[in-house]
Amino acid sequence: MQGGLTMERVAEKNENLWLMVVSPGIWAAHFLLCYSTTAVWCAKVVGRDGPLGEARMAIAIYTVLALAGIGIVGWIAARRQSYGSETVPQAFDTPGERHRFLGFVTLLLSALSAVATAYVGLTALFIQTCH
Amino acid sequence: MLVQIIAQNIRRHRIGGLTASQRRLASARSGRICCRRQGRKVGSLVVLGSLLVLAGCSGPLSTLDAAGRGAERIATLFWWLAASAILIWVAVIGLTVYAVRLRPEPHSQRAAKLLIIGGGVALPTLVLAGYLVYGLSLLPDLLQPAPPGSLRIAVTGEQWWWRVRYLAPDGEAVELANELRLPVGEPVEVLLDSPDVIHSFWIPSLAGKLDMIPGRVNRMALEPTKTGVFQGACAEYCGTAHALMRFYVAVEEKEKFARWLARQKQPAQAAAGPLARRGQELFLANGCGACHAIRGTPAEGVIGPDLTHVGGRLSLGAGILPNEADDFLRWMARTEDLKPGVHMPSFGMLPTQHLRALAAYLDGLE
Amino acid sequence: MNTPPGRDPERLGAAPGDVKPLREAPPIGVQHAQAERLLKAWKTPQGWRYWSAVNNSQVGLWYTAAAFAFFLFGGILALLMRTQLAVPGNDFLSADFYNQIFTLHGSVMMFLFAVPLFEAFSIFLLPQMLGARDLPFPRLSAFGFWSFLLGGTFVCGSLFFNAAPQGGWFMYPPLSSQYQPGIGNDIWLLGLSFIELAAIAAAVEIIVGVLKTRSPGMRINLMPLYAWYILVVAGMILFAFPPLIAGDILLELERLLHWPFFDPDRGGDPLLWQHLFWIFGHPEVYIVFLPAIALVAMMVPTFARTPMVGYGWIVLAAVGTGFLSFGLWVHHMFTTGLPGISLALFSAASEAVAIPTGVQLFCFIATLLAGRVVRSVPLLFVFGGLAVFVLGGLTGVMVALVPFDFQAHDTYFIVAHLHYVLVGGAVFPVIAGFYYFFPLVGGKKLSDRLGRITFWLLFIGFNVTFLPMHLSGLLGMPRRVFTYAPNLGFDGLNLISSIGAFILAAGFAVFVWDVLRPKGKQPYAQRNPWGAGTLEWTAEMPDKPWGIRSIPEIDGRYPLWDQPNILRDIDEGRFYLPDAEEGKRETLITTSVDAQPIQCLRVPGPTWLTLFAALFTGGLFIFATFHLWWVAVASGVLAFAIIIAWLWTGTALIPEKEEKNVGLGLRLPLYRSGPESVGWWAMFITMLADMTAFAGLVFGYFFYWTIHDDFPPDPSPAPSLFGLMLLGAVLLLGSWGLTVLVRRWNQGDRRAAFYGGLPVAVALAVAGGATLLAGPWHAGLDPVSHVYPAMVWLLVLWTVLHVAVGVIMQGYCLAQRLAGRMTARYDIEIRNVTLYWHFVALTVAITVAVIAGFPLVA
Repeated sequence: MQGGLTMERVAEKNENLWLMVVSPGIWAAHFLLCYSTTAVWCAKVVGRDGPLGEARMAIAIYTVLALAGIGIVGWIAARRQSYGSETVPQAFDTPGERHRFLGFVTLLLSALSAVATAYVGLTALFIQTCH
Repeated sequence: MLVQIIAQNIRRHRIGGLTASQRRLASARSGRICCRRQGRKVGSLVVLGSLLVLAGCSGPLSTLDAAGRGAERIATLFWWLAASAILIWVAVIGLTVYAVRLRPEPHSQRAAKLLIIGGGVALPTLVLAGYLVYGLSLLPDLLQPAPPGSLRIAVTGEQWWWRVRYLAPDGEAVELANELRLPVGEPVEVLLDSPDVIHSFWIPSLAGKLDMIPGRVNRMALEPTKTGVFQGACAEYCGTAHALMRFYVAVEEKEKFARWLARQKQPAQAAAGPLARRGQELFLANGCGACHAIRGTPAEGVIGPDLTHVGGRLSLGAGILPNEADDFLRWMARTEDLKPGVHMPSFGMLPTQHLRALAAYLDGLE
Repeated sequence: MNTPPGRDPERLGAAPGDVKPLREAPPIGVQHAQAERLLKAWKTPQGWRYWSAVNNSQVGLWYTAAAFAFFLFGGILALLMRTQLAVPGNDFLSADFYNQIFTLHGSVMMFLFAVPLFEAFSIFLLPQMLGARDLPFPRLSAFGFWSFLLGGTFVCGSLFFNAAPQGGWFMYPPLSSQYQPGIGNDIWLLGLSFIELAAIAAAVEIIVGVLKTRSPGMRINLMPLYAWYILVVAGMILFAFPPLIAGDILLELERLLHWPFFDPDRGGDPLLWQHLFWIFGHPEVYIVFLPAIALVAMMVPTFARTPMVGYGWIVLAAVGTGFLSFGLWVHHMFTTGLPGISLALFSAASEAVAIPTGVQLFCFIATLLAGRVVRSVPLLFVFGGLAVFVLGGLTGVMVALVPFDFQAHDTYFIVAHLHYVLVGGAVFPVIAGFYYFFPLVGGKKLSDRLGRITFWLLFIGFNVTFLPMHLSGLLGMPRRVFTYAPNLGFDGLNLISSIGAFILAAGFAVFVWDVLRPKGKQPYAQRNPWGAGTLEWTAEMPDKPWGIRSIPEIDGRYPLWDQPNILRDIDEGRFYLPDAEEGKRETLITTSVDAQPIQCLRVPGPTWLTLFAALFTGGLFIFATFHLWWVAVASGVLAFAIIIAWLWTGTALIPEKEEKNVGLGLRLPLYRSGPESVGWWAMFITMLADMTAFAGLVFGYFFYWTIHDDFPPDPSPAPSLFGLMLLGAVLLLGSWGLTVLVRRWNQGDRRAAFYGGLPVAVALAVAGGATLLAGPWHAGLDPVSHVYPAMVWLLVLWTVLHVAVGVIMQGYCLAQRLAGRMTARYDIEIRNVTLYWHFVALTVAITVAVIAGFPLVA
């Protein structure tokens, strides 16, 4: 088990559950941005017969930014997950285990969010108009 | 490949089966429904095996019995999806049966983790991406409006019938109700709206459905590929008689269609025979003209269906009755029974003689 | 909290995992005395007073029974429908009655069975699994239950008066708003809104329960998977139910006062309802599915005799599903004619959500493979559920593709799909859960033999009923039809479905018999009858009312497997809180991530207040349905008085001493306020839900902006509006600022400043609220005329209502301090009220920015 120093470095006050939900949160923000941008574009800017044009560009930019954000969170999470030397499942009652566990889950959530964001971004490749 | 072959086979049989059922229907409906080309004979075993499927996939409302561009592409998508879904189901359940029923020696944690990563993550991600790409690639075409200059038809869903107006390029409209006739192989633009509640316009054999929403106009492109008589239905719950809001669609050769449309533009033909003439008098005397229009007569109501050529239609009461003089009589006498909640009052209080005269008049408006 | 207060100095450096139970058991006499005191404190009231109980085991049990009774009612409705549809052109039911029945079937199954049942299970099981004695707010659970029972009975009962709602469980306007004038739809809107509020209350309770009442040492990486799932689900409820409540408000205002939110002739739009409804409606599916899967996640390791493989993956699945499920709502609106890009975006998200769903199923299969499976009736149901659910999931992936949905939408294919998902994903696991957890109720198992019979009847009956429906739908049978014409190709299929429905019903009849049959002679089950590893199985057979004899220190995910002698140590009181010296009900509060004990929480005991509070709150809604305004108002006033009495006598009580020895050398405070108190968390979470509902209304405003060229109208019909709105905002933000100051003054025990400041804050709030109301009033905005004035009035009224509640809270604090029930040290009330006012300030700022600011930008 890790010693006292370890415990202090990964103490609860430095860690909470919020990092876990950052990546899915980025997915959600990306999704809503894509939706509202295109909805307003088709309703207010070009009309239902218009081209998506710049709105597709916007989706592409959002997607790149979102993937970058998720990548950063994933990278932080990966470092946490590989914290310490043990590789056993995070199933013990120590702060270090908990730290690695949250890192692991955050990493997985980042991967899922990245796939989901990519799926959403994919739409811009296929849809070119407001029909 | 296998899937396609199976799908092709099933489609062939379907057409055969359809013809049979169509024939039955046709004999019941005084031969209005035209026949389709016969299915080809295939190996007897296969025929036997697919008889059930065959019977299962045909029908006047069938999405799998595609006769329009949209419906055809969606049916193909369905067969691919269904086949892969069955495969996946068998694999997952097979694995579980293996784990629970055969109770193998415990597998290592490593193998278990690999199963999660491979079966639970990698495979689904790829399969789902494939599905998504397939679905998205169909979408632009399915949503593409009909090209400019196409025939335009405005269909209005009302509780519980369909107001249909063929819009000429000069803005003039020919109004009819509860049926569409379309030229085969031509794109058609259908404009959909509703003055009351939300309905949904759906001709399964031709294309997917699209809602009719008060305050909005939705546009749909249809492109029938085969002639025949199909049915449509309201697919959005719209109140008491939602189940009884249907219609017929006849897809015809271009010339036949043009003749039909020219005919629809004409005012109603004069009542022929004393009974029908009596019927016309009764029609006006009983105030039917307050709701119904019969062009060429003083009846100019706009609330209910236009009856100018009602005798020539494929059905009565929005797709729920055949179109014979007797059916007119039944409809007028027992309107509420036949269609609960209907906004037209029953005329059962009229003497049968009067109803018969009215029916003769209306049936004659071909 | 790294170093919780009250730890003995020599233990401060110890790693928390090192806390061990007492080496020696207390002498047997002491044990008996302790047990007696605990029993007395936790005693269930007897006789007719039984119904005043608030303890989680009683409330959870009632809740489960009521939800299941509603399920049976919904099932009978389904049988009636299947009888009607057995043959074409049937006249067994009239069209109107059929429409009432299908509306109620959907509404009952969703609102009165699926969601409440998970709340019921959680109230019953969660404290047991976490090693807590009770949930943090037992009276809130009881209030939620009585509200649910009353609202549910009201909604179901309407059918017997031929007055049930018939707008479909989705209540689409304008059909539901203008074309169905009876009171049915009002019953739906008001009755179910009432239940939705109860669901949010339960969600608050569950979130605080999971985060704050775990046994010491049960870190976030060790808590039972059920807790993870339920945490996610409760979080989802906070963001899913409020948009529906916002929609309910709009729809009821249209029905009652003719405000034109959904009337296109006056600027409204029916699609707004669909957005609000499905923002609720799709997460709802997962709100139903995840808790049931959570039960599976508890059962699978037990029967595989091995810990769950991929615990972290399951957490991923639960959290990931929770998020993604909010990006699916438009897939119920694929045929409404939205632009293709909108459809595509939601299709993409709908495909993505299948990934986490698949992950958890593979975790279960992997666990079964990694262990050595012990066959059992619960596992049989789990397996059946899996077979059914996987098919439903696969058809779900199909209909998530826009083109296929164009055909499948609103047909029997969807009926088949959703029943495969919900029955496979929820009903089968829940029945498995009944068989698995039943010994916790009365100490006896259900019958294995009857269980197998039930299973096969259900499994066969279900598939015979619903498999043919896929084909009915593909052949063109629309949903929600009370009859169909012959010779369309689905006559035979419908007959088969109807036969299957009765087989299914027979299965449930056997099951109900198994549950209800007298079990007098049957011996009690042995303790931990399935050999499980989690804490709920520390219960004795039959169980004692104390929940757990002493609260253990947890070292792993499966304490009963991992920690030797844990049962003995718990029973002999070698852990925390083995005694109730003061005769009070107590449980431990721990930190949210690492479960370090920080407080000994006193939880309240039996009371009639909650029952009556629910009764009169219900009266407010029910009498309003019948337009009996004065009775409704009287009922509301009574409810308000009772709730105040409940708060006054039962919450934030000042303890007789500062700290208490909870055992194992640990002393914990009995009172905490601010972010360390459970009440603060509850307020925070409740206000998140409240803000979500508000966001739903604001979404409405901007929705109208996107569809109209003249929303907000230009030039503004009410130039004077803007000045008054700004003035109101200034006054209200002043009240907020003063409230924050008053909280500080109270903390510093500056009595004069406190007593001087708080009344001024009240006065500012009242003046500010009045000014806001004066805005649209003075401008002569008529909410019936067009959707713009209606929207302005709605936002203003929403804000003013919150201000009014805020004023009551300020007054309550004043009274508490005057009565000596709140002091500088014991200041929970003013802290929570300040927190509330933060949210009010936000609401005010947004309302004024939208009404007065946005027209300038647009």
